[in-house]
Amino acid sequence: MYALLPLIGATAAWAEDPPAAPAAPESAPAPTPAPAPPPTAPSAEDLAAIEAALAADSAPAPAPARGAGGTQSMNPDISFIADVAFAWFSAEEPLMVGGHDPTANGFTLQQLEMAIAAPVDPYFSFHSNLVFSLFGVEIEEVYGTTSALPGRFQVRAGQFLTRYGRINPTHPHSWDFVDQAVPIGRLFGGEGNRGLGLEATWLAPTPWYVELVASETYAGGESTARSFWGAQDPGFASPLDLQTTLALKQFFPLGSDLSLAWGLSGALGPNPTGLGNRTEIYGTDVYLKYRPVSRGGESVVSFQGELMHRRRQVPEDVLADWNGYGQVFWRFARRWGAAARYEFGTAATGLDGTVADDPLDPEWTALRQRISANTTFWPTEFSRLRLQAHTDLAGWREEPDYAALLAVEFNVGAHGAHAF
Amino acid sequence: MRHLFALLLALLSLPAHAGLRVVATVPDLAAITREVLRDRGTVTALSLPTQDPHFVDARPNLALELARADALVLVGLDLEIGWLPNLLTGARNPRIQVGGGGHVDCSTFVHLKDVPLGKVDRSMGDVHPGGNPHYLYDPRAADAVAFGIAARLAALDPAGAQAYTSNAADFVKRLDTARVSWEALLAPLRGKPVVTYHASWSYFTDWVGLETVAHVEPKPGIPPSPAHVAHVLASMQEHQVGLILQEVYYPETTPSLLRDRTGGRLLRVAGGADFAAGQTYIERMDQVVHQLAELGGHP
Repeated sequence: MYALLPLIGATAAWAEDPPAAPAAPESAPAPTPAPAPPPTAPSAEDLAAIEAALAADSAPAPAPARGAGGTQSMNPDISFIADVAFAWFSAEEPLMVGGHDPTANGFTLQQLEMAIAAPVDPYFSFHSNLVFSLFGVEIEEVYGTTSALPGRFQVRAGQFLTRYGRINPTHPHSWDFVDQAVPIGRLFGGEGNRGLGLEATWLAPTPWYVELVASETYAGGESTARSFWGAQDPGFASPLDLQTTLALKQFFPLGSDLSLAWGLSGALGPNPTGLGNRTEIYGTDVYLKYRPVSRGGESVVSFQGELMHRRRQVPEDVLADWNGYGQVFWRFARRWGAAARYEFGTAATGLDGTVADDPLDPEWTALRQRISANTTFWPTEFSRLRLQAHTDLAGWREEPDYAALLAVEFNVGAHGAHAF
Repeated sequence: MRHLFALLLALLSLPAHAGLRVVATVPDLAAITREVLRDRGTVTALSLPTQDPHFVDARPNLALELARADALVLVGLDLEIGWLPNLLTGARNPRIQVGGGGHVDCSTFVHLKDVPLGKVDRSMGDVHPGGNPHYLYDPRAADAVAFGIAARLAALDPAGAQAYTSNAADFVKRLDTARVSWEALLAPLRGKPVVTYHASWSYFTDWVGLETVAHVEPKPGIPPSPAHVAHVLASMQEHQVGLILQEVYYPETTPSLLRDRTGGRLLRVAGGADFAAGQTYIERMDQVVHQLAELGGHP
């Protein structure tokens, strides 16, 4: 950590290509107003000295105060997001994978999320997501992000969702669907892949957007890293006991109306099935969005998909499985949208190609597919109502499961913008 | 050999000649910055005039523009709150972060309107606690913005300080000349009642002297309900409103209905200059003024 300090100190000198720009103060120092004559008037000499001293004190004048009404606050941006759902399931034990998914008939408080964000100082910004459920509080994320590292580097330290793929780094309130995607829940756990650790990202100086991400995080947690240490905690003996996440994110603006984001990700780490056994999860994600802004249109059509391949070393075998989802979203009016999603996960197979015993999901002996559809109504961008239905075709169950979810979301307070 | 050396020297000195890279959030600001900067750098706009500036997608290529920028010129007053902060974080560029020398918030240069006096909350719709951010619709505000940008660019690039000041002065002179002619052209409209879709025309109606009777939106950012449209229709009939003003990125059906029911006129304009096509701020205002004069001239 101390190694970072000289880097930070060097930032000012590192400025990439400013055309001869000494960091000029934002404005000229405010002129010192003439003081009212006090009862016993000081000498002109004293006055001149006082004025000079005051002027010197106020030399690095702050930015001019806004004319009127500007909201000035040292408080961090704080927002609360409440997700409440009413659910109906045909199965007695529905196969929901998300930690905040409705799992039983009736009402569910999915979560009350509190998001806190603010710049710490000129070098760091702070971000935290706390989640309140009916029976406790959970620190989902809390991290600092550098804001002034040279060379287009950025470092995050703390507890954070890893930037594996496209949906994993995001919170439920930015999902198009009420529930978590099956591949995320199966491979990483109900909370998505996160951990305590350190992440470095670099924005390449290429003509198009290329971002490289590398992080090292704690590999434990039943609902955050279940394909790695999972519920076990063998402690930290070497860097191999950590989860390594690598990602390459690219973006291609295909004109002003069409966008394409494409990513490659890998998550590598230990698993507890035997000494030195490792798990590797490789994936690719794609996001294609059409929004005709050049014609003043309000509609949006997008496709998002991810494909993930997991390999796990277990005693005398290597288990492999494929998981993925694809979803189409159509915002057909200012306040209305519709979406459809297909998800799948194959049974884990061994080196001989046959279905093997899966220590994590022993019942997962056949292909599971889920098809969902929903419609969303946004009264404003701060609230939404969703009606969602799905059919879950788990190969190991005798008949398909059906479900219907009605969910409402409220967002109050100052909440930062979301990534594209 | 000497030629080769000269060529090398020319190549090496290219970056210095490339000058300031300035990114503006909306096309009107890009157009004004262009006037101030001229050949001393490049200007890029992050959004289109056909795009609602409240809801721009934070596309990663915009973060790339910001990563390379020496200065960011923005409207401020939370107009860009839904997308700019995220891009700023992604840009990893301390020069243009809040507090950086290249962070140019133009709302600090102008006299603001519609600054809420009491407590505000979101039950009032998408209100801007700092004031109405659509000041670029008033050419008098554009004067102040041009001088403000010039001062900030001069601080970033002292060698160009004189050029920026004189470019801004030249722009303001041309704009003021045009403004006098626009004011003469629009003088017959002074005092006429209008309806606007969003509260984005406050500065414009103040400048032209139009009286805003109602907004098609019941509250800023809230789509109209049937009851509200009926209310607007009644107000239009009562005040004999003959003009409806709106931007192209707002829905057309309801304003068209109001126009047809009242026999009025509907003016739909882009939200700013077509910067990508080379349109200047003066050309853009000239276009709006002439369209308005033509429509408003009808009974």
